[in-house]
Amino acid sequence: MERPGPQPKKEMQAINVTEALGEFQQIARDPAAAVKKAASEKIVRVIGHLPTDVPEELVHSAGAYPFGVVAYDRRQISQADAHLQTWACSLMRCAFGMALSGGLDYLQGLIVPTICDTTRTVYTIWKKVRPFHFMENFLMPRQLDRPSAKNYLLGEMGRLKARLEQFTGRKITAQDLGNSIRLYNRHRALLRRLFEFHVRHPEILGNRATYDVIKSSFLIPKENHQELLNRLINALEQELLKLKTGREKTRVRVILSGKLWEPPALMDVLDEVGAVCVGDELCTGWRYIANDVKENGDPYVALAERQLARPPFACFVNKKQDRKDALLKKVRETQADGVIFVHLKFCEPENYDYPYLKEGLDAAGVPTLRLETEVGNVSLGQIKTRVGAFIEMLEGAK
Amino acid sequence: MGTPFCTSALLKEVMADYYARGVQAKERGIPVVWVTAVFPVEIVYAAGLFPYYPENFGALAAARKTTEKLSATAEARGYYADLCGYARCGLGDAHSKEHPVGEITRPDLVFCCNTQCGTLQKWFEVAGRFYQVPYFLLDVPFIEGASTTLIKRYLVEQMHELIDFIEVYTGRQFDFDRLTEVLSLANEACRLWNEILDTAALRPAPFGFFDACFHMAPIVTLRGTEAAVAYYRELKRELEERLEKKIYALPDERWKIYWDHIPVWPRLRWFADLFAQNGALVAVSQYTHSWVYHFDLERPLESLAENYAEAFVNRGFDYRVERKIGLMRRYKVDGFVLFSNRSCKPTSFGLYDKRSIIARRTGLPGIVFEADMADQRYFAEEQIREKFRIFFEQLTNR
Ligand code: SF4
Ligand code: SF4
Repeated sequence: MERPGPQPKKEMQAINVTEALGEFQQIARDPAAAVKKAASEKIVRVIGHLPTDVPEELVHSAGAYPFGVVAYDRRQISQADAHLQTWACSLMRCAFGMALSGGLDYLQGLIVPTICDTTRTVYTIWKKVRPFHFMENFLMPRQLDRPSAKNYLLGEMGRLKARLEQFTGRKITAQDLGNSIRLYNRHRALLRRLFEFHVRHPEILGNRATYDVIKSSFLIPKENHQELLNRLINALEQELLKLKTGREKTRVRVILSGKLWEPPALMDVLDEVGAVCVGDELCTGWRYIANDVKENGDPYVALAERQLARPPFACFVNKKQDRKDALLKKVRETQADGVIFVHLKFCEPENYDYPYLKEGLDAAGVPTLRLETEVGNVSLGQIKTRVGAFIEMLEGAK
Repeated sequence: MGTPFCTSALLKEVMADYYARGVQAKERGIPVVWVTAVFPVEIVYAAGLFPYYPENFGALAAARKTTEKLSATAEARGYYADLCGYARCGLGDAHSKEHPVGEITRPDLVFCCNTQCGTLQKWFEVAGRFYQVPYFLLDVPFIEGASTTLIKRYLVEQMHELIDFIEVYTGRQFDFDRLTEVLSLANEACRLWNEILDTAALRPAPFGFFDACFHMAPIVTLRGTEAAVAYYRELKRELEERLEKKIYALPDERWKIYWDHIPVWPRLRWFADLFAQNGALVAVSQYTHSWVYHFDLERPLESLAENYAEAFVNRGFDYRVERKIGLMRRYKVDGFVLFSNRSCKPTSFGLYDKRSIIARRTGLPGIVFEADMADQRYFAEEQIREKFRIFFEQLTNR
């Protein structure tokens, strides 16, 4: 961490890394408690969204608290079975199952981005059988490279804005939106700094810890998260000064390709085998923090431009951004030794891209491993064995 | 499927002619364009290009029971058996040396409209890369209730982008007069097709769903040409003749049934026999009623945009329930069968709840059964037979 962060307040100095991380882990472990706590501190409407294609800045500028519904209560998956076939991806089954069992009752609203057939259809069932007071689609364009995409996206953002205003009873001014944009930009910048720190010093900040911090940022208000994040960064810097002894042995560097890092224990496995995740394409990882919104000019245009320029993702067609090229570039830039595909079973958009990405990586001599996982139903033993063997192989090749 | 239709021979000719034109197109350098079933093909015909339907290839491969073989090739490349069977047939054939149902026609251009599903968006994107030809996605946002000006404007803007794209590719100016002619031919074919389908409402009826599945090839592929109009005139004439001669689809029609969607292609005969043995005529399905377009010749692009974007395949829960019930009422059916098709998430997710809602509102017996339209590995024959046995019992005891 070269640049100094915002000056920490005096009383924060004493915090150590484990303590600071503990707070994030607590949030990631029990998001419901975190929401309830945050909502009780300030009377505010909590609007859920399925990560991570909804422009949170807009929700935030309406005075609401955007909560990312990540799959966290794995026991609730089967609740969805009466309404949804078991061959829907476990991410949606889990989110919907949690709602059906009352596990998301602390939300006043929900926004579902329509990115695939599963989100498109489950949204309609959800709205029918267990509606929230406020329930909206965010209808992203799925071709991103022609002029029509931007015009339409601007219109769609305007629609969402109007719906949010109706719901919260509060007008969103350009200034409100500007403030939210700045807050989110600062927050993303901090997370990127944290990520860089992780890549450089995985012995201090491991994979699980890093990704837990990113995930927890969906779950509590950004303002609170930012405060915790500053504290953590401060603690990490101090730790680094203390540990300025000899160099650690070089770890195997991997990139994760896919949509989510599920199951979470995957990151623990990587920590155990001494690998460092130096980059990813995940919606709940780097893709969430990769790019910012321009702070000058029309904030809606700026928001739309960020949305269109986000790193490639299977659900969108963008000829200006080839996913294979982007992945290869990432491998080169991060000097990764290999790529692990983490695919959720029944997620077809990812599956259609897989052979293409794999071929590209094969041709470039980058070793790959594919894991097919499910929220709530995976044999960890198998993952351990396969990831272990893969990392060992990469180590041998180094 | 009772007495064979004389028109069947004509159908063979019409379709052979269509495929021959595809071959000729290749020889004469007329671009072959891959299109999806719900794509404004009228634009392709008006531009003088040859439209080819890979979904038809999938249906044909499935009906000839070759899905498993073609899929194995796709699976060996890293595509999974959970993907839509049509896509697996198409991708499998592309990667095979053997072509059990003839080789899929290679495209010069790949046009996709995602109004139906996200699968086509991905499959066609993959195909564009595989055949190394340009890919154009006509992107249709989901329409939950009523369509909006925003969506209409987006579609029209994309129509212009599509036409520009074709003009640049062919080096010819797009002929709007020709488009009007094509649209009026499409209107005529759709009108005749729907009049034909409506004969299934007569008691007893000369025509049913399984006949429609057989005779629908021209409305899918040749909509907008003289050939389709001529064919359906002939078929209609034959149906009138049959009515006079009292030739019916079933000799002893006791019941009329609504079948929700696509047939189980490799089991078309199996199901036709099962229903016939029980004196049940499958009279109607939203699938064969997909071609209900009516274009306004005064505003061709707007009208194309509306017809294709607002097709039922792109609509929300309530709209789809209304449409199903509307068809059931119009054809005065005695029961309904909903096919939960593992290949097709957008038409299958939501059927569990739709079944109970429809049963409650209509008082009709109805079932949901699980299978795959193409892949017999997901066909649990005994279970399905038992489910239908109970269904027919319910019909008898009503
Ligand atoms: S993109 Fe994949 S993981 Fe996400 S909701 Fe759709 S199917 Fe599920
Ligand atoms: S069967 Fe369903 S998923 Fe497959 S191409 Fe047709 S609409 Fe798409």
